[in-house]
Amino acid sequence: MSNSRTVILFWQLAILAAVLVIWQWGFEWSKALLPRAYVPKILDPYFVAKPSLIWQSFLRLGCFSDAGGFAACIRGNDNNLWLATLVTLKNTWWGFLFGSASGIAAGLVLGRSDFLARVFGPYIVALNSIPRIALVPLVILIFGLGDLSKIATAWLVVFFVVFFNTFEGTRAVDRDQIAAARLLGASAFTVLRTVVIPSALAWVFASLLPAVSFALIGVIVGEFIGAERGLGKLIIEAEARANASEMMVAIFVMMFVGILLAIAVRSLQSYLLRWQPQFEPSA
Amino acid sequence: MIAAPGQGLALARDEDQTAAARVRIAVQGLAKRFNASGREFVAVDDVSFEVKQGEFVALLGPSGCGKSTILNMVAGLLPRSGGRILIDQDTVETGKVNPRVGYVFQRDTLFPWRTVEQNIGYGLEIAGLRKTERASRVASAVEKAGLSGFGQSFPRMLSGGMRQRVALMRTLILEPEILLMDEPFGALDTHTKLEMHKTLLEIWERERQTVLFVTHDLGEALTLASRIILLSARPGRLKEDFDVAIPRPRDPVAVRESAEFGRLYSHIWHSLGEEFRRTRAD
Repeated sequence: MSNSRTVILFWQLAILAAVLVIWQWGFEWSKALLPRAYVPKILDPYFVAKPSLIWQSFLRLGCFSDAGGFAACIRGNDNNLWLATLVTLKNTWWGFLFGSASGIAAGLVLGRSDFLARVFGPYIVALNSIPRIALVPLVILIFGLGDLSKIATAWLVVFFVVFFNTFEGTRAVDRDQIAAARLLGASAFTVLRTVVIPSALAWVFASLLPAVSFALIGVIVGEFIGAERGLGKLIIEAEARANASEMMVAIFVMMFVGILLAIAVRSLQSYLLRWQPQFEPSA
Repeated sequence: MIAAPGQGLALARDEDQTAAARVRIAVQGLAKRFNASGREFVAVDDVSFEVKQGEFVALLGPSGCGKSTILNMVAGLLPRSGGRILIDQDTVETGKVNPRVGYVFQRDTLFPWRTVEQNIGYGLEIAGLRKTERASRVASAVEKAGLSGFGQSFPRMLSGGMRQRVALMRTLILEPEILLMDEPFGALDTHTKLEMHKTLLEIWERERQTVLFVTHDLGEALTLASRIILLSARPGRLKEDFDVAIPRPRDPVAVRESAEFGRLYSHIWHSLGEEFRRTRAD
Protein backbone atom coordinates (compact mmCIF):
# COMPACT_ATOMS: atom_id res chain seq x y z
CA MET A 1 0.00 0.00 0.00
CA SER A 2 2.67 2.47 1.07
CA ASN A 3 4.64 1.88 -2.13
CA SER A 4 1.72 2.05 -4.55
CA ARG A 5 2.31 4.37 -7.47
CA THR A 6 0.04 7.17 -6.30
CA VAL A 7 1.69 7.28 -2.87
CA ILE A 8 5.14 7.46 -4.45
CA LEU A 9 3.99 10.18 -6.84
CA PHE A 10 2.45 12.10 -3.94
CA TRP A 11 5.73 12.12 -2.02
CA GLN A 12 7.72 13.05 -5.09
CA LEU A 13 5.48 16.06 -5.74
CA ALA A 14 5.48 16.97 -2.05
CA ILE A 15 9.29 17.06 -1.97
CA LEU A 16 9.40 19.16 -5.15
CA ALA A 17 6.87 21.63 -3.70
CA ALA A 18 8.75 21.84 -0.39
CA VAL A 19 12.07 22.52 -2.15
CA LEU A 20 10.53 25.22 -4.34
CA VAL A 21 8.76 26.89 -1.39
CA ILE A 22 11.89 26.94 0.80
CA TRP A 23 13.99 28.15 -2.12
CA GLN A 24 11.54 30.93 -2.93
CA TRP A 25 10.65 32.21 0.55
CA GLY A 26 12.98 30.41 2.95
CA PHE A 27 15.56 33.20 3.18
CA GLU A 28 13.01 35.95 3.90
CA TRP A 29 11.18 33.78 6.43
CA SER A 30 14.34 32.85 8.29
CA LYS A 31 15.51 36.47 8.30
CA ALA A 32 12.17 37.49 9.85
CA LEU A 33 12.01 34.66 12.37
CA LEU A 34 15.58 33.71 13.32
CA PRO A 35 18.42 35.61 15.00
CA ARG A 36 20.85 37.01 12.44
CA ALA A 37 23.56 34.44 13.18
CA TYR A 38 21.25 31.52 12.40
CA VAL A 39 20.01 32.70 9.01
CA PRO A 40 21.21 30.07 6.49
CA LYS A 41 23.47 31.89 3.98
CA ILE A 42 22.98 29.11 1.46
CA LEU A 43 19.41 30.31 0.90
CA ASP A 44 20.54 33.84 0.01
CA PRO A 45 19.12 34.63 -3.45
CA TYR A 46 22.39 36.43 -4.23
CA PHE A 47 24.05 33.00 -4.36
CA VAL A 48 21.32 30.59 -5.40
CA ALA A 49 18.73 32.97 -6.91
CA LYS A 50 15.15 31.88 -6.37
CA PRO A 51 12.49 30.20 -8.54
CA SER A 52 10.63 33.40 -9.45
CA LEU A 53 13.86 35.17 -10.47
CA ILE A 54 15.03 32.13 -12.40
CA TRP A 55 11.71 32.07 -14.25
CA GLN A 56 12.08 35.74 -15.17
CA SER A 57 15.67 35.20 -16.35
CA PHE A 58 14.45 32.24 -18.37
CA LEU A 59 11.82 34.40 -20.09
CA ARG A 60 14.40 37.10 -20.77
CA LEU A 61 17.21 34.84 -22.00
CA GLY A 62 14.72 32.78 -23.96
CA CYS A 63 13.46 35.94 -25.71
CA PHE A 64 9.90 35.50 -24.43
CA SER A 65 9.69 38.84 -22.60
CA ASP A 66 11.57 41.03 -25.07
CA ALA A 67 9.79 44.24 -26.10
CA GLY A 68 11.02 43.91 -29.69
CA GLY A 69 9.41 40.51 -30.13
CA PHE A 70 10.78 36.95 -30.16
CA ALA A 71 12.31 36.90 -33.65
CA ALA A 72 14.14 40.22 -33.35
CA CYS A 73 15.54 39.20 -29.95
CA ILE A 74 16.80 35.88 -31.33
CA ARG A 75 18.54 37.69 -34.20
CA GLY A 76 19.94 40.39 -31.93
CA ASN A 77 21.70 38.04 -29.48
CA ASP A 78 24.33 35.64 -30.75
CA ASN A 79 24.32 33.58 -27.58
CA ASN A 80 20.63 33.55 -26.72
CA LEU A 81 19.39 30.59 -24.71
CA TRP A 82 18.10 28.62 -27.69
CA LEU A 83 21.14 29.07 -29.85
CA ALA A 84 23.42 28.30 -26.88
CA THR A 85 21.46 25.10 -26.16
CA LEU A 86 21.53 24.10 -29.80
CA VAL A 87 25.28 24.66 -30.05
CA THR A 88 26.02 22.71 -26.87
CA LEU A 89 23.70 19.90 -27.92
CA LYS A 90 25.21 19.75 -31.39
CA ASN A 91 28.78 19.62 -30.09
CA THR A 92 27.81 17.01 -27.50
CA TRP A 93 26.20 14.90 -30.21
CA TRP A 94 29.18 15.00 -32.58
CA GLY A 95 31.66 14.42 -29.77
CA PHE A 96 29.59 11.48 -28.54
CA LEU A 97 29.19 10.10 -32.04
CA PHE A 98 32.88 10.34 -33.02
CA GLY A 99 34.03 9.26 -29.57
CA SER A 100 31.84 6.18 -29.40
CA ALA A 101 32.35 5.23 -33.06
CA SER A 102 36.14 5.38 -32.75
CA GLY A 103 36.01 3.73 -29.32
CA ILE A 104 33.93 0.85 -30.69
CA ALA A 105 36.16 0.46 -33.74
CA ALA A 106 39.39 0.49 -31.71
CA GLY A 107 37.88 -1.84 -29.09
CA LEU A 108 36.80 -4.34 -31.75
CA VAL A 109 40.17 -4.32 -33.52
CA LEU A 110 42.25 -4.68 -30.36
CA GLY A 111 39.76 -7.10 -28.83
CA ARG A 112 40.07 -9.44 -31.80
CA SER A 113 43.85 -9.22 -32.13
CA ASP A 114 46.07 -10.40 -29.31
CA PHE A 115 49.09 -8.98 -31.07
CA LEU A 116 47.74 -5.44 -31.36
CA ALA A 117 46.29 -5.59 -27.86
CA ARG A 118 49.73 -6.39 -26.45
CA VAL A 119 51.51 -3.74 -28.54
CA PHE A 120 49.11 -0.92 -27.72
CA GLY A 121 48.17 -2.03 -24.19
CA PRO A 122 50.73 0.08 -22.25
CA TYR A 123 50.08 3.19 -24.36
CA ILE A 124 46.37 3.00 -23.76
CA VAL A 125 46.83 2.53 -20.04
CA ALA A 126 49.20 5.52 -19.93
CA LEU A 127 46.90 7.80 -21.95
CA ASN A 128 43.92 6.72 -19.90
CA SER A 129 45.75 7.80 -16.73
CA ILE A 130 45.72 11.45 -17.82
CA PRO A 131 42.75 13.29 -16.34
CA ARG A 132 41.00 14.30 -19.55
CA ILE A 133 40.05 17.74 -18.27
CA ALA A 134 43.75 18.60 -17.97
CA LEU A 135 43.98 18.37 -21.74
CA VAL A 136 41.22 20.89 -22.44
CA PRO A 137 43.47 24.01 -22.61
CA LEU A 138 45.75 22.14 -25.00
CA VAL A 139 42.79 21.11 -27.14
CA ILE A 140 41.62 24.74 -27.30
CA LEU A 141 45.13 25.86 -28.22
CA ILE A 142 45.14 23.38 -31.09
CA PHE A 143 41.56 23.65 -32.34
CA GLY A 144 40.73 27.23 -31.41
CA LEU A 145 37.76 28.78 -29.65
CA GLY A 146 35.18 27.41 -32.08
CA ASP A 147 33.03 24.28 -32.01
CA LEU A 148 35.83 21.97 -33.09
CA SER A 149 37.67 22.20 -29.77
CA LYS A 150 34.44 21.29 -27.90
CA ILE A 151 33.84 18.29 -30.13
CA ALA A 152 37.45 17.22 -29.62
CA THR A 153 37.12 17.52 -25.84
CA ALA A 154 33.94 15.43 -25.80
CA TRP A 155 35.65 12.93 -28.09
CA LEU A 156 38.59 12.59 -25.68
CA VAL A 157 36.29 11.90 -22.76
CA VAL A 158 33.99 9.48 -24.59
CA PHE A 159 36.59 7.50 -26.53
CA PHE A 160 38.30 5.74 -23.63
CA VAL A 161 35.11 4.82 -21.80
CA VAL A 162 33.61 3.20 -24.89
CA PHE A 163 36.92 1.72 -25.99
CA PHE A 164 37.52 -0.18 -22.73
CA ASN A 165 34.00 -1.58 -22.62
CA THR A 166 34.05 -2.66 -26.24
CA PHE A 167 37.46 -4.25 -25.74
CA GLU A 168 36.26 -6.25 -22.75
CA GLY A 169 33.00 -7.13 -24.50
CA THR A 170 34.86 -8.40 -27.54
CA ARG A 171 37.08 -10.55 -25.35
CA ALA A 172 34.10 -12.00 -23.53
CA VAL A 173 32.45 -13.41 -26.68
CA ASP A 174 31.60 -17.10 -26.28
CA ARG A 175 34.16 -19.12 -28.25
CA ASP A 176 31.67 -21.90 -28.89
CA GLN A 177 29.26 -19.41 -30.46
CA ILE A 178 32.04 -18.36 -32.81
CA ALA A 179 32.80 -22.02 -33.58
CA ALA A 180 29.09 -22.65 -34.19
CA ALA A 181 28.89 -19.73 -36.63
CA ARG A 182 32.02 -20.95 -38.45
CA LEU A 183 30.54 -24.45 -38.75
CA LEU A 184 27.35 -22.97 -40.18
CA GLY A 185 29.44 -21.43 -42.95
CA ALA A 186 30.31 -17.95 -41.63
CA SER A 187 33.50 -16.26 -42.85
CA ALA A 188 35.75 -14.38 -40.43
CA PHE A 189 34.08 -11.11 -41.36
CA THR A 190 30.59 -12.60 -41.02
CA VAL A 191 31.53 -13.90 -37.57
CA LEU A 192 32.57 -10.38 -36.61
CA ARG A 193 29.36 -8.86 -37.98
CA THR A 194 26.87 -11.47 -36.78
CA VAL A 195 28.41 -12.82 -33.57
CA VAL A 196 31.15 -10.62 -32.10
CA ILE A 197 29.44 -7.26 -32.56
CA PRO A 198 25.96 -8.26 -31.35
CA SER A 199 27.50 -10.11 -28.43
CA ALA A 200 29.72 -7.17 -27.44
CA LEU A 201 26.82 -4.75 -27.84
CA ALA A 202 25.61 -5.24 -24.28
CA TRP A 203 29.04 -4.14 -23.04
CA VAL A 204 29.17 -1.25 -25.47
CA PHE A 205 25.78 0.03 -24.37
CA ALA A 206 26.72 -0.26 -20.72
CA SER A 207 29.29 2.44 -21.55
CA LEU A 208 27.15 4.62 -23.83
CA LEU A 209 24.89 5.87 -21.07
CA PRO A 210 27.74 7.32 -19.00
CA ALA A 211 29.48 8.31 -22.25
CA VAL A 212 26.68 10.63 -23.30
CA SER A 213 26.84 12.39 -19.92
CA PHE A 214 30.62 12.59 -20.22
CA ALA A 215 30.29 14.14 -23.67
CA LEU A 216 28.08 16.86 -22.22
CA ILE A 217 30.56 17.46 -19.39
CA GLY A 218 33.41 17.65 -21.91
CA VAL A 219 31.63 20.23 -24.02
CA ILE A 220 30.63 22.40 -21.03
CA VAL A 221 34.18 22.37 -19.62
CA GLY A 222 35.48 23.29 -23.06
CA GLU A 223 33.03 26.19 -23.14
CA PHE A 224 34.10 27.31 -19.67
CA ILE A 225 37.72 27.51 -20.67
CA GLY A 226 37.33 29.20 -24.00
CA ALA A 227 34.35 29.54 -26.29
CA GLU A 228 32.34 31.95 -28.37
CA ARG A 229 28.94 30.46 -27.59
CA GLY A 230 27.15 27.63 -25.82
CA LEU A 231 25.54 26.99 -22.43
CA GLY A 232 28.92 26.90 -20.70
CA LYS A 233 29.75 30.31 -22.13
CA LEU A 234 26.37 31.57 -20.88
CA ILE A 235 27.27 30.44 -17.34
CA ILE A 236 30.69 32.11 -17.47
CA GLU A 237 29.14 35.38 -18.68
CA ALA A 238 26.51 35.28 -15.92
CA GLU A 239 29.24 34.56 -13.38
CA ALA A 240 31.12 37.65 -14.51
CA ARG A 241 28.01 39.69 -13.73
CA ALA A 242 27.38 37.74 -10.50
CA ASN A 243 23.96 36.83 -11.89
CA ALA A 244 22.96 33.60 -10.12
CA SER A 245 19.53 33.34 -11.71
CA GLU A 246 20.96 33.28 -15.25
CA MET A 247 23.42 30.59 -14.22
CA MET A 248 20.53 28.61 -12.79
CA VAL A 249 18.65 28.90 -16.09
CA ALA A 250 21.62 27.42 -17.95
CA ILE A 251 22.00 24.68 -15.32
CA PHE A 252 18.34 23.68 -15.61
CA VAL A 253 18.51 23.62 -19.38
CA MET A 254 21.59 21.37 -19.12
CA MET A 255 19.65 19.10 -16.82
CA PHE A 256 16.89 18.75 -19.39
CA VAL A 257 19.40 18.22 -22.19
CA GLY A 258 21.08 15.52 -20.09
CA ILE A 259 17.78 13.80 -19.40
CA LEU A 260 16.77 13.86 -23.07
CA LEU A 261 20.10 12.43 -24.20
CA ALA A 262 19.90 9.67 -21.58
CA ILE A 263 16.36 8.80 -22.66
CA ALA A 264 17.44 8.66 -26.30
CA VAL A 265 20.35 6.30 -25.56
CA ARG A 266 18.23 4.19 -23.23
CA SER A 267 15.44 3.62 -25.72
CA LEU A 268 17.94 2.69 -28.42
CA GLN A 269 19.54 0.33 -25.93
CA SER A 270 16.32 -1.37 -24.88
CA TYR A 271 15.41 -1.91 -28.53
CA LEU A 272 18.78 -3.33 -29.58
CA LEU A 273 19.18 -5.42 -26.42
CA ARG A 274 15.58 -6.64 -26.24
CA TRP A 275 16.87 -10.22 -26.22
CA GLN A 276 18.34 -9.68 -22.77
CA PRO A 277 16.34 -10.49 -19.63
CA GLN A 278 16.35 -7.03 -18.01
CA PHE A 279 14.72 -5.47 -21.06
CA GLU A 280 11.85 -7.93 -21.21
CA PRO A 281 8.65 -5.98 -21.78
CA SER A 282 6.75 -6.10 -18.51
CA ALA A 283 3.55 -8.12 -18.65
CA MET B 1 26.88 -56.11 -54.67
CA ILE B 2 29.39 -53.32 -55.09
CA ALA B 3 27.74 -49.92 -55.50
CA ALA B 4 28.38 -48.28 -58.83
CA PRO B 5 29.86 -44.78 -58.67
CA GLY B 6 27.13 -42.25 -58.17
CA GLN B 7 24.79 -44.78 -56.69
CA GLY B 8 26.29 -44.09 -53.27
CA LEU B 9 24.97 -40.55 -53.47
CA ALA B 10 21.40 -41.80 -53.24
CA LEU B 11 20.42 -42.20 -49.62
CA ALA B 12 20.28 -45.82 -48.63
CA ARG B 13 16.70 -46.55 -47.61
CA ASP B 14 17.41 -49.95 -46.22
CA GLU B 15 19.84 -50.64 -43.44
CA ASP B 16 21.00 -53.86 -45.13
CA GLN B 17 22.21 -51.77 -48.01
CA THR B 18 24.50 -49.64 -45.83
CA ALA B 19 27.02 -52.45 -45.64
CA ALA B 20 27.72 -51.94 -49.32
CA ALA B 21 27.54 -48.14 -49.10
CA ARG B 22 30.58 -45.94 -49.48
CA VAL B 23 32.74 -44.80 -46.61
CA ARG B 24 31.94 -41.21 -45.58
CA ILE B 25 34.25 -40.80 -42.59
CA ALA B 26 37.56 -42.64 -42.33
CA VAL B 27 39.67 -42.23 -39.20
CA GLN B 28 43.12 -43.80 -39.46
CA GLY B 29 45.64 -44.09 -36.63
CA LEU B 30 44.31 -40.89 -35.05
CA ALA B 31 46.25 -39.51 -32.08
CA LYS B 32 46.00 -36.43 -29.88
CA ARG B 33 48.51 -35.31 -27.32
CA PHE B 34 48.12 -32.28 -25.08
CA ASN B 35 50.73 -30.32 -23.22
CA ALA B 36 49.54 -29.52 -19.73
CA SER B 37 52.01 -27.49 -17.61
CA GLY B 38 55.03 -28.92 -19.37
CA ARG B 39 53.82 -32.51 -19.09
CA GLU B 40 52.56 -34.24 -22.18
CA PHE B 41 49.61 -36.52 -21.90
CA VAL B 42 47.96 -38.70 -24.49
CA ALA B 43 44.23 -38.11 -24.94
CA VAL B 44 43.64 -40.25 -27.99
CA ASP B 45 45.93 -43.03 -29.10
CA ASP B 46 45.86 -44.81 -32.47
CA VAL B 47 42.14 -44.81 -33.14
CA SER B 48 40.87 -46.11 -36.47
CA PHE B 49 37.32 -46.62 -37.65
CA GLU B 50 35.06 -45.97 -40.60
CA VAL B 51 31.54 -44.61 -40.87
CA LYS B 52 29.61 -45.56 -43.97
CA GLN B 53 26.87 -43.72 -45.81
CA GLY B 54 23.65 -43.64 -43.80
CA GLU B 55 25.11 -45.19 -40.65
CA PHE B 56 24.23 -43.88 -37.21
CA VAL B 57 27.36 -44.50 -35.16
CA ALA B 58 27.59 -43.78 -31.47
CA LEU B 59 31.03 -43.10 -30.02
CA LEU B 60 30.66 -44.38 -26.47
CA GLY B 61 33.13 -44.23 -23.64
CA PRO B 62 33.75 -43.13 -20.06
CA SER B 63 34.20 -39.44 -19.29
CA GLY B 64 37.56 -38.07 -20.32
CA CYS B 65 38.28 -40.86 -22.78
CA GLY B 66 38.77 -38.41 -25.62
CA LYS B 67 35.55 -39.09 -27.54
CA SER B 68 34.68 -35.41 -27.90
CA THR B 69 38.29 -34.74 -28.86
CA ILE B 70 37.96 -37.27 -31.66
CA LEU B 71 34.73 -35.64 -32.85
CA ASN B 72 36.30 -32.16 -32.79
CA MET B 73 39.21 -33.41 -34.88
CA VAL B 74 36.75 -34.95 -37.36
CA ALA B 75 34.98 -31.57 -37.50
CA GLY B 76 38.30 -29.80 -38.08
CA LEU B 77 37.89 -27.74 -34.90
CA LEU B 78 41.00 -29.20 -33.33
CA PRO B 79 44.38 -30.03 -34.89
CA ARG B 80 45.42 -33.67 -34.62
CA SER B 81 48.78 -34.88 -33.37
CA GLY B 82 48.96 -37.90 -35.62
CA GLY B 83 47.05 -40.06 -38.07
CA ARG B 84 44.57 -39.11 -40.77
CA ILE B 85 40.93 -38.24 -41.09
CA LEU B 86 39.20 -38.44 -44.44
CA ILE B 87 35.72 -37.24 -45.23
CA ASP B 88 34.60 -38.47 -48.64
CA GLN B 89 38.25 -39.30 -49.43
CA ASP B 90 39.41 -35.73 -48.66
CA THR B 91 41.74 -35.06 -45.77
CA VAL B 92 40.15 -32.89 -43.07
CA GLU B 93 41.97 -29.58 -42.66
CA THR B 94 41.83 -27.83 -39.31
CA GLY B 95 39.85 -24.61 -39.44
CA LYS B 96 38.33 -25.38 -42.82
CA VAL B 97 34.59 -25.89 -42.81
CA ASN B 98 33.05 -28.61 -44.92
CA PRO B 99 29.54 -27.59 -46.02
CA ARG B 100 28.44 -31.22 -46.14
CA VAL B 101 29.16 -31.61 -42.44
CA GLY B 102 26.85 -30.34 -39.68
CA TYR B 103 27.82 -30.10 -36.02
CA VAL B 104 25.65 -29.97 -32.90
CA PHE B 105 27.25 -28.85 -29.65
CA GLN B 106 26.56 -30.10 -26.15
CA ARG B 107 26.60 -26.55 -24.80
CA ASP B 108 23.93 -24.06 -25.72
CA THR B 109 25.47 -22.11 -28.58
CA LEU B 110 22.34 -20.40 -29.83
CA PHE B 111 22.69 -16.69 -30.55
CA PRO B 112 20.68 -15.12 -27.72
CA TRP B 113 20.12 -11.87 -29.68
CA ARG B 114 18.34 -13.73 -32.47
CA THR B 115 14.82 -15.10 -32.36
CA VAL B 116 14.13 -18.80 -32.86
CA GLU B 117 13.46 -18.17 -36.56
CA GLN B 118 16.55 -16.04 -36.98
CA ASN B 119 18.68 -18.68 -35.25
CA ILE B 120 17.36 -21.49 -37.42
CA GLY B 121 17.74 -19.35 -40.55
CA TYR B 122 21.28 -18.20 -39.71
CA GLY B 123 23.10 -20.55 -42.09
CA LEU B 124 20.69 -19.78 -44.94
CA GLU B 125 20.98 -16.05 -44.26
CA ILE B 126 24.76 -15.92 -44.45
CA ALA B 127 24.64 -18.16 -47.52
CA GLY B 128 22.71 -15.31 -49.14
CA LEU B 129 19.40 -17.07 -49.62
CA ARG B 130 16.46 -14.84 -50.57
CA LYS B 131 14.27 -13.75 -47.71
CA THR B 132 11.07 -15.33 -49.02
CA GLU B 133 12.65 -18.69 -49.69
CA ARG B 134 14.40 -18.56 -46.34
CA ALA B 135 11.15 -17.81 -44.55
CA SER B 136 9.35 -20.83 -45.97
CA ARG B 137 12.21 -23.21 -45.18
CA VAL B 138 12.55 -21.79 -41.67
CA ALA B 139 8.80 -22.12 -41.11
CA SER B 140 8.82 -25.79 -42.04
CA ALA B 141 11.86 -26.41 -39.81
CA VAL B 142 10.13 -24.68 -36.90
CA GLU B 143 7.14 -26.94 -37.39
CA LYS B 144 9.25 -30.08 -37.78
CA ALA B 145 10.93 -29.34 -34.45
CA GLY B 146 7.57 -28.88 -32.73
CA LEU B 147 8.28 -25.21 -32.05
CA SER B 148 5.19 -23.73 -33.74
CA GLY B 149 4.20 -20.49 -32.04
CA PHE B 150 7.72 -19.87 -30.73
CA GLY B 151 9.26 -18.54 -33.93
CA GLN B 152 9.46 -14.97 -32.64
CA SER B 153 10.68 -15.94 -29.16
CA PHE B 154 14.20 -15.31 -27.99
CA PRO B 155 16.19 -18.32 -26.72
CA ARG B 156 16.06 -17.20 -23.08
CA MET B 157 12.26 -17.64 -23.15
CA LEU B 158 12.61 -21.33 -24.05
CA SER B 159 13.28 -24.45 -21.99
CA GLY B 160 16.56 -26.35 -22.35
CA GLY B 161 14.92 -28.99 -24.53
CA MET B 162 13.37 -26.41 -26.85
CA ARG B 163 16.69 -24.60 -27.18
CA GLN B 164 18.39 -27.83 -28.18
CA ARG B 165 15.66 -28.41 -30.80
CA VAL B 166 16.43 -24.99 -32.22
CA ALA B 167 20.15 -25.82 -32.26
CA LEU B 168 19.41 -29.11 -34.04
CA MET B 169 17.26 -27.35 -36.65
CA ARG B 170 19.82 -24.60 -37.15
CA THR B 171 22.21 -27.34 -38.26
CA LEU B 172 19.73 -29.59 -40.11
CA ILE B 173 18.23 -26.79 -42.21
CA LEU B 174 21.49 -26.67 -44.19
CA GLU B 175 20.82 -30.32 -45.06
CA PRO B 176 24.22 -31.71 -44.06
CA GLU B 177 24.85 -35.24 -45.31
CA ILE B 178 27.10 -35.91 -42.35
CA LEU B 179 26.05 -34.98 -38.84
CA LEU B 180 28.52 -34.76 -35.95
CA MET B 181 26.89 -34.55 -32.53
CA ASP B 182 28.76 -33.95 -29.29
CA GLU B 183 26.56 -35.21 -26.42
CA PRO B 184 23.80 -32.91 -27.68
CA PHE B 185 21.30 -34.05 -25.05
CA GLY B 186 23.77 -34.43 -22.19
CA ALA B 187 22.47 -31.43 -20.26
CA LEU B 188 18.77 -32.37 -20.47
CA ASP B 189 16.61 -34.15 -17.91
CA THR B 190 15.53 -37.73 -18.59
CA HIS B 191 12.05 -36.94 -19.87
CA THR B 192 13.20 -34.16 -22.22
CA LYS B 193 16.01 -36.41 -23.39
CA LEU B 194 13.55 -39.13 -24.40
CA GLU B 195 11.48 -36.59 -26.34
CA MET B 196 14.60 -35.39 -28.13
CA HIS B 197 15.44 -39.01 -28.98
CA LYS B 198 11.98 -39.37 -30.49
CA THR B 199 12.43 -36.24 -32.60
CA LEU B 200 15.92 -37.23 -33.73
CA LEU B 201 14.82 -40.79 -34.58
CA GLU B 202 11.90 -39.51 -36.65
CA ILE B 203 14.15 -37.16 -38.58
CA TRP B 204 16.95 -39.64 -39.06
CA GLU B 205 14.73 -42.57 -40.02
CA ARG B 206 13.26 -40.33 -42.73
CA GLU B 207 16.42 -38.64 -43.99
CA ARG B 208 19.19 -41.09 -43.10
CA GLN B 209 22.06 -38.71 -42.64
CA THR B 210 25.43 -40.21 -41.77
CA VAL B 211 25.76 -39.59 -38.04
CA LEU B 212 28.65 -39.73 -35.61
CA PHE B 213 27.17 -39.24 -32.16
CA VAL B 214 29.32 -38.87 -29.04
CA THR B 215 27.79 -39.95 -25.74
CA HIS B 216 28.62 -41.52 -22.40
CA ASP B 217 25.02 -42.70 -21.97
CA LEU B 218 24.69 -46.36 -22.92
CA GLY B 219 20.88 -46.27 -23.11
CA GLU B 220 21.03 -43.31 -25.45
CA ALA B 221 23.57 -45.02 -27.69
CA LEU B 222 21.44 -48.19 -27.91
CA THR B 223 18.24 -46.23 -28.56
CA LEU B 224 19.62 -44.20 -31.43
CA ALA B 225 22.57 -45.89 -33.06
CA SER B 226 22.89 -48.62 -35.61
CA ARG B 227 26.47 -49.19 -34.51
CA ILE B 228 28.34 -48.49 -31.28
CA ILE B 229 32.07 -47.89 -31.08
CA LEU B 230 33.27 -48.39 -27.54
CA LEU B 231 36.37 -46.51 -26.43
CA SER B 232 38.68 -47.39 -23.57
CA ALA B 233 39.48 -45.08 -20.67
CA ARG B 234 42.23 -42.52 -21.24
CA PRO B 235 44.11 -42.64 -23.45
CA GLY B 236 41.16 -43.29 -25.74
CA ARG B 237 41.66 -46.44 -27.77
CA LEU B 238 39.22 -48.52 -29.72
CA LYS B 239 37.87 -51.26 -27.49
CA GLU B 240 34.91 -52.86 -29.21
CA ASP B 241 32.60 -52.34 -32.14
CA PHE B 242 28.96 -53.54 -32.01
CA ASP B 243 26.09 -53.59 -34.48
CA VAL B 244 22.79 -52.65 -32.86
CA ALA B 245 20.31 -54.87 -34.65
CA ILE B 246 17.15 -53.41 -33.10
CA PRO B 247 14.52 -53.02 -35.81
CA ARG B 248 13.31 -49.59 -36.94
CA PRO B 249 11.29 -47.46 -36.64
CA ARG B 250 12.28 -47.36 -33.00
CA ASP B 251 10.40 -45.83 -30.13
CA PRO B 252 12.69 -44.50 -27.39
CA VAL B 253 10.58 -46.08 -24.64
CA ALA B 254 9.48 -49.32 -26.31
CA VAL B 255 13.02 -50.02 -27.55
CA ARG B 256 14.09 -50.68 -23.98
CA GLU B 257 11.75 -53.67 -23.82
CA SER B 258 13.42 -55.50 -26.71
CA ALA B 259 15.61 -58.54 -26.07
CA GLU B 260 18.42 -57.15 -28.21
CA PHE B 261 18.52 -53.96 -26.13
CA GLY B 262 18.80 -55.99 -22.90
CA ARG B 263 21.46 -58.31 -24.28
CA LEU B 264 23.66 -55.51 -25.62
CA TYR B 265 23.06 -53.35 -22.55
CA SER B 266 24.42 -55.93 -20.12
CA HIS B 267 27.31 -56.86 -22.40
CA ILE B 268 28.45 -53.28 -22.99
CA TRP B 269 27.75 -52.35 -19.39
CA HIS B 270 30.19 -55.02 -18.32
CA SER B 271 32.76 -53.80 -20.80
CA LEU B 272 32.27 -50.15 -19.78
CA GLY B 273 32.57 -51.16 -16.14
CA GLU B 274 36.08 -52.44 -16.75
CA GLU B 275 36.98 -49.05 -18.19
CA PHE B 276 35.52 -47.15 -15.25
CA ARG B 277 37.50 -49.34 -12.88
CA ARG B 278 40.64 -48.63 -14.91
CA THR B 279 39.97 -44.90 -14.70
CA ARG B 280 39.76 -45.14 -10.94
CA ALA B 281 42.85 -47.33 -10.69
CA ASP B 282 44.94 -44.63 -12.37
